[in-house]
Amino acid sequence: MTEVRLNRLTKIYSGGKPAVDSITLDIPSGQFVSLLGPSGCGKTTTLKMLAGFEDVTSGEIAFDGEDVGRVPAEDRDIGMVFQNYALFPHMTVQQNLAFGLEMRKVSKAEIKRRVQATLEMVQLDHLADRYPAQLSGGQQQRVAIGRALTIEPRILLLDEPLANLDAKLREEMRVFIRDLQKRVGITTVYVTHDQAEAMTMSDLVVVMFDGHIAQAGAPREIYETPKTAKVAGFVGQVNLIEAPMDPATPGHAATPFGPVPVTAPGVGETVTLALRPEAIDIAPAGAPGTPATIERVQYSGAIVDYTLRFADGTAMEVKTIPRHPFATGDAVSLSVDLARFRQLEREY
Amino acid sequence: MGRNVLNIYCLAVYAFLLAPIFVVVGASFNAGEFLTFPPQGLSLRWYFTFFENEVFLRAIGTSLWIAAVATFFSVIIGTMAAIHYVNFAGRYKEAVRVAALSPLLLPEILTAIALLFFLYDIGIGTTTMFGLLVGHVLMTLPFVFMNVSASLEAYDTDWSMAARSLGARPFTRFRRIMLPLIKPGMIGGALFSFVISFDIFTISLLLKSIGTATLPIQLFDYLKTNYTPEAAAVSTLSIVATITVVVIVEKVIGLKMHKF
Ligand SMILES: Nc1ncnc2c1ncn2[C@@H]1O[C@H](COP(=O)(O)OP(=O)(O)O)[C@@H](O)[C@H]1O
Ligand SMILES: [Mg+2]
Repeated sequence: MTEVRLNRLTKIYSGGKPAVDSITLDIPSGQFVSLLGPSGCGKTTTLKMLAGFEDVTSGEIAFDGEDVGRVPAEDRDIGMVFQNYALFPHMTVQQNLAFGLEMRKVSKAEIKRRVQATLEMVQLDHLADRYPAQLSGGQQQRVAIGRALTIEPRILLLDEPLANLDAKLREEMRVFIRDLQKRVGITTVYVTHDQAEAMTMSDLVVVMFDGHIAQAGAPREIYETPKTAKVAGFVGQVNLIEAPMDPATPGHAATPFGPVPVTAPGVGETVTLALRPEAIDIAPAGAPGTPATIERVQYSGAIVDYTLRFADGTAMEVKTIPRHPFATGDAVSLSVDLARFRQLEREY
Repeated sequence: MGRNVLNIYCLAVYAFLLAPIFVVVGASFNAGEFLTFPPQGLSLRWYFTFFENEVFLRAIGTSLWIAAVATFFSVIIGTMAAIHYVNFAGRYKEAVRVAALSPLLLPEILTAIALLFFLYDIGIGTTTMFGLLVGHVLMTLPFVFMNVSASLEAYDTDWSMAARSLGARPFTRFRRIMLPLIKPGMIGGALFSFVISFDIFTISLLLKSIGTATLPIQLFDYLKTNYTPEAAAVSTLSIVATITVVVIVEKVIGLKMHKF
């Protein structure tokens, strides 16, 4: 069990602007943390610095309070899972699993025992003598995770491990990895650009943009109280409302749904509010609420997505279970619990 | 229909390319005094003559020895050059490649003359086999370089990183991961190297020391004054020797590399 601490960690590749720009993050022991962000935001670079594959330009990486920034990768005791698995093609599953233990000069008998235990853990005992090329993508993935775990590393690092699998297998592997991580109890850093993966698997989601941490928090916290429009948009659909202050109610912004309490901006400025599409209730015209017209209906069985427009021209997305058979052009009435509005920070 | 035409065409090309070899092999079983084809009667007499001919035997020995030693050094140097070229040459990559392949690109006679001058300039000359070996290493190097860099291009650097995260130090990573995975390229390069060395003529002619004639040189000398089927017998045997080496290497080491 290892607690990881990043302190103003920075990486500048020769000449360029920082790929990772002064990030500070505490990962409690045993937690599953996702680094979530678009391609190029510095997730892999952060992971490589954690693993010791890239030198740190400045800042610190500490495992259990001990600075490991200068410890070479081969001594850092990390388990690493690569996007394309990086299994040794000339070794059988068993030999792949044994490799890390051989490096540690573990006795033959002990290697045998621990490889067997790992094979059972990743449910591959029947494939021990196969070569990687003879395995399916999902099986290779499990070997890769097993190989990283046999050495009983201090932390487990995974870089987009599910990106090369098809959709169904991807969901299976999400559950598999998450269960395994819980069982082993290992501190895990998981890199992904897929918000669904990050949300469903993690204890802590770290949203990154452009080398910076935009927000870190539990999946629910990130989803329900995003700090910025970019974070709100990256972890799900969102309605952004640019609202002026309500002259009639001090300390409130005027929205189509009524006044919403906000922290007041400067004189004459507007506030940005976020509202998740599923926070809005849609009812037939005449019901209490704000009138709107349906512009588009996207029905997908369990849920239905509506694009609506208010009389003043603002558009609004609504996501709901298909209760009423509304069609394009219908007049409806929208209502919302005003507590579901989130005031967003300005981005500069 | 079109397929048959293609097949016949391919057959014809092969026949054209291989015909001289069949002529040589056929002529070697000649019972007569002269190098003729078809042979005048069948006999193994020229093979017996050959096995009593110390000069040819020594030439074959020299050729095999030089091919083996040159291949050994060629594989080591060529592999190191290829590793540097693929992983470390950076923006000099193209320059490194051209340099490594230059013995192939330059006329052999130029390389031979340059080496000859150079060897005398630095006082080594051609009194020992050293110069000859250097020449053979130089001429066979590009083949090792090409084969090994091809297998290195297919080498995923994540493998090294994975090994590293599992605790493997640089030399172990090389020995346990990279070496086995580029071995097919090294073996391919070695085979080329051996066969090419066996066939080198110009370099050998200029750089040989007294009494170190390789087989092509000895054959050339012989044919200047003789025209017996013994030359064909020698050629046939050297074809057999080359094929044998290729087959043995393929069987002993080659099979392992197809397992994954
Ligand atoms: N070896 C490298 N040399 C130079 N720039 C790099 C290198 N690796 C990554 N970068 C740059 O650093 C930034 C972050 O990359 P990366 O960490 O791979 O992002 P992500 O994994 O989030 O997609 C990108 O702009 C990328 O181009
Ligand atoms: Mg990446």
